[in-house]
Amino acid sequence: MDKDLHINARRDFVKKMAAASLSAATTSIPIASFLSSCNSAPAITSKADTVILLWMAGGMAHTETFDPKAYVPYSKGVESKRVLSTFPKVPTIVDGLHFSEGLESIGSVMDKGAIIRSYKSADLGHILHTRHQYHWHTCYEPPQSVQAPHIGAWIAKELGPVNPVIPPFIAMGQRFTVGEAEELKAFHSAGFLGSEYGPFLIPDPSTGLDSVRPPQGMSLKRFEARYKLYKELANKSKIMEGGSDYQRESLMRSMEQSYRLLNSPEAKVFDLSQEPKEVYDTYNTGRFGLGCLLAKRLAMNGGRFISVSTEYEPFLGWDTHENGHTRAAKMKELIDRPIAQLIKDLDESGHLDRTLIILASEFSRDAIMEGRPGVPVQDQVDQPDIIEDEKFYGMHRHFTDGSSILMWGGGIKKGLVYGKTADERPCSSIENPVVIDQVHQSIYHALGMDPETNYTIEGRPFYTTPDGQGKPILDLFGEPMVT
Amino acid sequence: MDINSWDWIFQLLGRLHPLVVHFPIGLLVVALFLEFLTLGGKRQGLREGINWMVFLGAVFALLAAVLGWLLRTYDDYEGDLVLFHQNAGIATAVLAIVTGYLLHTTLKGKLSSYIYYRIGLFATVLVLVVAGHLGANLTHGEDYLTSVLPHNQDSYDNERTKVLLTELKGLDSLSEAQQEDLNLGVRAILAHNCYQCHSENKQKGDLVLDNKRGVYQGGKSGPIIVEGRPEESEMFIRVSLPPDHDDVMPKKGKVLKESEIRLIELWIKNGAKWSDGALKIFPEAELALSQPELPKGNTESHPVDKIMDSYFKEKRMKWPEVVDDRTFIRRAYLDILGLLPEPLKIDQFVGNGDKEKRAKLIDELLADKHNYTQHWLSFWNDILRNDYSGPGFITGGRKQITDWLYKSLMENKPYDVMVKELINPTESSEGFIKGIKWRGLVNASQRTEMQAAQNIGQSLMGVNVKCASCHNSFVSNLTLEQSYGFASIFADSIMELNRCDMPIGKMAEVNFLYPELGSVEAESVKERLLLLSEVMVKPENGRLYRTITNRFWKRLMGRGIVEPVDEMDNEPWNADLLDWLAADFVESDYDIRHLMKTIMTSKSYQLESTRLENQEDLQKGYVFNGPILRRLSAEQFSDAVSQVVAPMYYAAAYDPDNEGLPSNRIWHREIKFDRDVLPEPGKRYFRNSFNLNDNKIQAAKALISVDHSYVLYLNGQKISEGTDWRKVDRLEVTNMLVQGDNILAIEGNNEGTIANPAGILFAMKIQYEDGSEKLITSNDKWKSTDKQPGKGWVNAKYDDGSWQGTRNYGSSNWDKLVNFTFDNPEKEFARASLVKQHPFMKVMGRPTRENVATTRDEQATLLQALELTNGEYFNGVLKEGAAEWLKKYGDRNEEIVLNLYQKTLGRNPTDKEKGIMLSALQTDAKEEALQDLFWSMFISPEFQFIY
Repeated sequence: MDKDLHINARRDFVKKMAAASLSAATTSIPIASFLSSCNSAPAITSKADTVILLWMAGGMAHTETFDPKAYVPYSKGVESKRVLSTFPKVPTIVDGLHFSEGLESIGSVMDKGAIIRSYKSADLGHILHTRHQYHWHTCYEPPQSVQAPHIGAWIAKELGPVNPVIPPFIAMGQRFTVGEAEELKAFHSAGFLGSEYGPFLIPDPSTGLDSVRPPQGMSLKRFEARYKLYKELANKSKIMEGGSDYQRESLMRSMEQSYRLLNSPEAKVFDLSQEPKEVYDTYNTGRFGLGCLLAKRLAMNGGRFISVSTEYEPFLGWDTHENGHTRAAKMKELIDRPIAQLIKDLDESGHLDRTLIILASEFSRDAIMEGRPGVPVQDQVDQPDIIEDEKFYGMHRHFTDGSSILMWGGGIKKGLVYGKTADERPCSSIENPVVIDQVHQSIYHALGMDPETNYTIEGRPFYTTPDGQGKPILDLFGEPMVT
Repeated sequence: MDINSWDWIFQLLGRLHPLVVHFPIGLLVVALFLEFLTLGGKRQGLREGINWMVFLGAVFALLAAVLGWLLRTYDDYEGDLVLFHQNAGIATAVLAIVTGYLLHTTLKGKLSSYIYYRIGLFATVLVLVVAGHLGANLTHGEDYLTSVLPHNQDSYDNERTKVLLTELKGLDSLSEAQQEDLNLGVRAILAHNCYQCHSENKQKGDLVLDNKRGVYQGGKSGPIIVEGRPEESEMFIRVSLPPDHDDVMPKKGKVLKESEIRLIELWIKNGAKWSDGALKIFPEAELALSQPELPKGNTESHPVDKIMDSYFKEKRMKWPEVVDDRTFIRRAYLDILGLLPEPLKIDQFVGNGDKEKRAKLIDELLADKHNYTQHWLSFWNDILRNDYSGPGFITGGRKQITDWLYKSLMENKPYDVMVKELINPTESSEGFIKGIKWRGLVNASQRTEMQAAQNIGQSLMGVNVKCASCHNSFVSNLTLEQSYGFASIFADSIMELNRCDMPIGKMAEVNFLYPELGSVEAESVKERLLLLSEVMVKPENGRLYRTITNRFWKRLMGRGIVEPVDEMDNEPWNADLLDWLAADFVESDYDIRHLMKTIMTSKSYQLESTRLENQEDLQKGYVFNGPILRRLSAEQFSDAVSQVVAPMYYAAAYDPDNEGLPSNRIWHREIKFDRDVLPEPGKRYFRNSFNLNDNKIQAAKALISVDHSYVLYLNGQKISEGTDWRKVDRLEVTNMLVQGDNILAIEGNNEGTIANPAGILFAMKIQYEDGSEKLITSNDKWKSTDKQPGKGWVNAKYDDGSWQGTRNYGSSNWDKLVNFTFDNPEKEFARASLVKQHPFMKVMGRPTRENVATTRDEQATLLQALELTNGEYFNGVLKEGAAEWLKKYGDRNEEIVLNLYQKTLGRNPTDKEKGIMLSALQTDAKEEALQDLFWSMFISPEFQFIY
């Protein structure tokens, strides 16, 4: 990152005002120096402090989950083009809103949230999951001439931690040892904002505690003694005699911060064994479910941005290239119970009001269409016209023209259904199409972040959304459009 | 009724702001004045009046702030000045209210003294004055006051305008040159003040001012220029309106300076002629080197020091002290080899009385080719965006140049040859201009041709092509056309210009950014690359050599002579120094090691490091006062730990002396649903049978390494087991082999709680008496099962017909173990520069090289501190090392402490330090205590910085 990276980001107005009068009162700081980073945007009141992103990695078919179409049961010899949904519809608690079978629990909490049914992924040509995921998480299409930050990193940088002991950007569930790992790493990054704002990675939520306590096998007593030893030796060192310098001081300060963090009793937030057994069991559908449980604990104790991924691994998870029907059923089992429980628990404890939860996927799937209508891309999956084998029954191709995003809490209007996809193939977004810039800006809006937050890197102002152009979807918050 | 129809009320109220502001000003200033009169308890009669003034002042201050807010919102204001004014105004209101409240509580007797209130009032008036001044600047123009001062501090650009204006003002007719100056002068004004809203990119009011057509065509309301008649020209009318007029241009708060307005007037009067001359709005460095002469008449012998001596004299500074031998040798080792000097080496060096010993040491270290290469490789990898892993490799959209780079550094290839080979590449160096190609569609500015232009620009020429690959640059003189011309050199077909990813129907013409160096036009890409490579390396292209010289200076001295190092048009803090070094580099036949030696043998390099109180001291107004304190790089840190304690890395992604052994690991093939997946934890069983002919065996050796653990059987006999995949077990198996069928059987175990990589790496070399050799290695022909096999599975006779073939997992999860070798087993650790990006190094600041990375962030971060404090990886290495040390030193605590200090810091401990360490070692849990000593040492500032 450039040394002289200018801070253009507009700051919270109220904070600024307080600082203005404070510093004027003390008159020890030249007024111009702190005003220079200030900008004019009207203050946005935040509706949420915490964001939880439930990431359906691999491309979740909207027609098999939250936007079911006509159900065509399997029978040998059925035509691929007739298959719109491989599950029957089931009602949800919201009148007229139906989900696909297997998502009854999530359906039962839809009175507390909203669904966007018209998300359109970018057209990036030939499908590469990680490119679309990069785009979803950074709002920029890779490659970029500078490294784009993950939305979690922007939020960490701008808002910092809620609770100083909990890292402001936590990413759970994804390992980086499998296919497309490098591409996954490319966006699990703070980019040019600097590694300080990068994700705190917890691939396995059940071992989350290990990341925030003294090294394994080290007693608290030894941990404290070790730190004392270092301090004593460092302070006795000759280099401490030569006056102060910012480099040495920031180094020692960072060590102290880390010591305090690891020595803090609040680390037990990361300890899932603190949960009663029945709660643990309700969530425990696997690593994703436990991720939801840890996300709940973090949200209740001052997490800032937390993502829980079903994990992307090529051809696994939601990335159904074969056996789409059976595997979608399994994935629904994985997510349905823990997500619903997460919403309920946060709601009951009163945290849902200030926690924005988003469920999304990089794109959707379809039995026939690869990419989107009118923009041909190369087929990646063989799909016979006539299905003679059940393994071809399901949504196996990548569809970018319509998918669902669910949102709860953080000021999101309850029971809202936003946008619509066609009931016949192609099941494209046909009403209120939503693109990623709007999704990001809606999240920033909920958090009270300036839509034009930007930093100058290599001479280029780099905004949270390209050119700072995106607009939040105010309807989601039940707010009138501003003219 | 629409809420918007109430706007006029707010707008009206807003416009009362300039009126209302005078109330608080008057009230509060007079209140303060009167308050002074009451100091010391005098003139108590004023009290009541002052109180009223303060309360009323506070009310009006608040009102003024609110009205100001409305004015800002409902009228068109833009720019920093408005912001400053607004914030100062709000601060005034807040302070005034606080002051009023303080006064109120004082009067009520809740505060014992007037002092708080008085301070408050004083502060309020202070901020009020600032706010008022800024407000006045808004309405009257920023130079309202200063323009009448005899020596105003105007910016350089405006100075140019003024000079031009004075020169041309009185003349009746202009010469051609003068007309050209005038035309360009006006274009510069437009560029600085108008492009922001009126350019091809952002056509407010349909007006475009960054090209000829736009200027004469005008905007929404028609043409803006009437030649010869400024008073009828919309352009002049709008810029010359009063600064607070609604229609003034540029927006209120950003109006033009008087001299600028007059110049535009003059230009229109003179016919508003256009000039196509290249407009250099931004300063540009000369392309050629200036070949400065060395200052004469000083006692310094080294050329760099001669220049620096003049520099210090000019700055009225004294030469700082030169560092002692111990500091010097550590610095030199870390800078040339990236390693710590051995204690013995340090003692010899310190004890050596040779006056030339420092220069000799530098020569000696530069001659250690492998270690030099393995340190500087990281520097070049960063700049040339070369890495062993990263996005793009998976779809073949990216290529390494590691082998080429390694060899180039080893043989100290002249820099001009390196550049030539990067630009007009062979297969081994083509990765640089090939860029990174992601599957699918990409933004026009990220086509690989454009990446080539951007990367050559940034890495080699220190010029930012990135901005200009989307639109005409806002930070340099580069245009969209120029960067497309540059990118076209690398393109098979004619490129169409895209502005911000939208085609504009214009075709690019092949061109290099600096056409004065020579033409690069030719039919084919191949020919063009050849031409470009020749043009680039010409000595006349001083910029190329200045850029690399500056990068080396920065690497060795902590701060570039020009900063940022990718913006070589910026002013150097010592132009002679930079150009002399670059010219000397050219003269040395582009010898990189010569350049390093020149810098490092200077006294300037050997000065004590500068300690800065603030990071800002490195930026504007920087003055050289010795090298800047530098933090160990991720690689230096890792290698130092490897040297002192235990290997940080056992395996490398690139192995410079590969002897042809496999590096691929195999494991049982596991399938979930219908796909290959990572292996689940648990035991797996492997068999490989091989047949040996009648040749007499002279010797047979085997190497094995298994992730996570294994038991190995050869012909039914257990011969080895191991639990650490990073280590290689070496086996002597000569006497265990038989003629005919032999069987290798391995019981492998994958640990962990979730599926994770596992793999067997095996090689056996059989040397026959006739001199021939046979190699047996792990491959996917081996058989495996996940079921506990029956008795006798380790014997040749066992029937493994139901077992399946194994899966080859490649080496990417493990890299290549550096001691998986029959020939050269004494290599202890893998140099960090050769290791694939690793979470530890990443957090310590090694960049992911998806983009060119020319500067590393040396700032300490919390994530780093966490990794060092509880990171399993780092603490694991310390643990391993502590066990090794105790094996070696046993109870000899003094020796432990002495060695630790000498090896890490290159010095003996002081008595105090020794005391602390010895008492820490007085414990039963000595291994733990030693780990903690290591830890304390490695995180200490003295270790982590190059002093």
